[in-house]
Amino acid sequence: MRPGAWAGAALLTLVGVVGVLTAVLPEPWLPYDIVADVSHADAGLAPSAAHWLGTDHLGRDVAWRLVLATRAFVGPGLLACLLASVIGVGAGAISGFLGGPVAALVRYLSTVTASIPRFVLVLLAIAINGNSTWLIGAVAGVAYSPAVAEAVFSRIDSLQRADFVLAARAHGLGPVRILLYHLLWVNCRRMVGRHALNLFGYLLLLETTLSYIGGFGVMEPQPSWGNMLAFEFGYRTANIWGVWAPAIAIWVTIFCCGLVSEALAERRRA
Amino acid sequence: MPDRIQLEGLRIQAGSTPLVQDVDLQLEAGEILALVGASGSGKTLSARAVLGLPGPRPGVVAAELAIHCNGTVHRPYDGLAAAVAAGKPTRFWRRSHKAFAPIRGHIVGTMAQDARGALDPLWTVGRQLREALELGGATDEPSAVLVRAGFRHPQRVLELYPHQLSGGMAQRACIALALARGSRFLIADEPTTGLDPTVQEAILAELQRLAGEGIGVLLITHDLRIVPRVADRVQIMDRGRTVEALPSGLLASSASPEVRALIDATARVAGGAL
Repeated sequence: MRPGAWAGAALLTLVGVVGVLTAVLPEPWLPYDIVADVSHADAGLAPSAAHWLGTDHLGRDVAWRLVLATRAFVGPGLLACLLASVIGVGAGAISGFLGGPVAALVRYLSTVTASIPRFVLVLLAIAINGNSTWLIGAVAGVAYSPAVAEAVFSRIDSLQRADFVLAARAHGLGPVRILLYHLLWVNCRRMVGRHALNLFGYLLLLETTLSYIGGFGVMEPQPSWGNMLAFEFGYRTANIWGVWAPAIAIWVTIFCCGLVSEALAERRRA
Repeated sequence: MPDRIQLEGLRIQAGSTPLVQDVDLQLEAGEILALVGASGSGKTLSARAVLGLPGPRPGVVAAELAIHCNGTVHRPYDGLAAAVAAGKPTRFWRRSHKAFAPIRGHIVGTMAQDARGALDPLWTVGRQLREALELGGATDEPSAVLVRAGFRHPQRVLELYPHQLSGGMAQRACIALALARGSRFLIADEPTTGLDPTVQEAILAELQRLAGEGIGVLLITHDLRIVPRVADRVQIMDRGRTVEALPSGLLASSASPEVRALIDATARVAGGAL
């Protein structure tokens, strides 16, 4: 991997760890209180030693809210990746390896799921079941799984007829070991990893978009990079970092997903 | 009684179309049997039937296979006849891995025509060898296995990926893999195709050396010229049937029209007599 990809992976790991910690730690343990921080006298302050990125229109510390907002998408993003990988790899492996009517049924179900636009499916789910970032993550994961299933299916379907798989059978390897280890682990894991990273980036964008629009996703006073952007954009305080910080955070995180995903691409060695 | 493979009445069909009919194969430890025929004559299918690899479609529908090794007899096709008679051959194929597991790689090893394609492209030679050894519970060092297959610098070869091997090295690596667990028989499917003459010679010499060590070699080839020198016996196939089976020294004097046609075509292509 190139240095850029390592930097991307490091930054993503940092975001991930912070996102999990802020979600898992009980409220009193966090060094920041969302409600108590409101102070109209301090609204729109420029960056300083006390407020690294200044304050927003309610006088809240932008840097802390930026950190706290990671919990809105890291957990749901990981849930989405887990669901998409498990469902996608399972469906793709079953349909690619077994063939026959089972494969036809699995592929039919996955095509039906894939035919519904993901954004619409997510809106529908939160309109029916109530607003929750976890629900957004779960629905996005299920909606994304057909893409993973299709990729895994086509790879397994083509590799199954490869000479080295026949050779593996001739060497006495069982079908389970060939499928799980040689086909899925050795030959599909990078591809599934790339899909998971793309999905994580997609979910971040989805969550921030919904929170930006308002009414869905994360709502005030809970911070999200999306609603921070939306509110500060409307108030135009003297502190431009209230707008720029979440915007840059969104862009950098998605860029890092792309960097790592690119490093996982399989290049033909010369 | 020496270790041997005895395959009788082999019949392979794709749906209801017969691909191989009434083929018998006999191979004893220490001899080289050449299986010769034009492309599509059923050589590869017949040889793979020893390992239960065709199927379910195209699938073996009838076969009596007895593999004698170290005093025990394996009959992996037992149960096929009943399943076919009941009209449910997939019932047999679903469980076929269990029946063939003691044979595949333990008693009979294989090397494929496209040696590089037969190696996992994402794994080094060493890793593939280690897996083959682990499966059999063998304690040999991978490098020792490579030395037995004729590599002079095994440590370097262990680190290489299949795409970094030359054609001859890939064939040797495949021989090493096929025999890693002490197989008594080797199925070599066109091992010299696509190699230059010096490497061809080396690979054939390797097969002869293995036969000298008591390994039975089933050599599939469409090159008649190498047969008299290398093989002990030869079996000629045409359109899914055995045309003739005879000691390889008598090949040139065969009277069968299919064999004569093969010999004449070979002579015309190679220029001069066989």
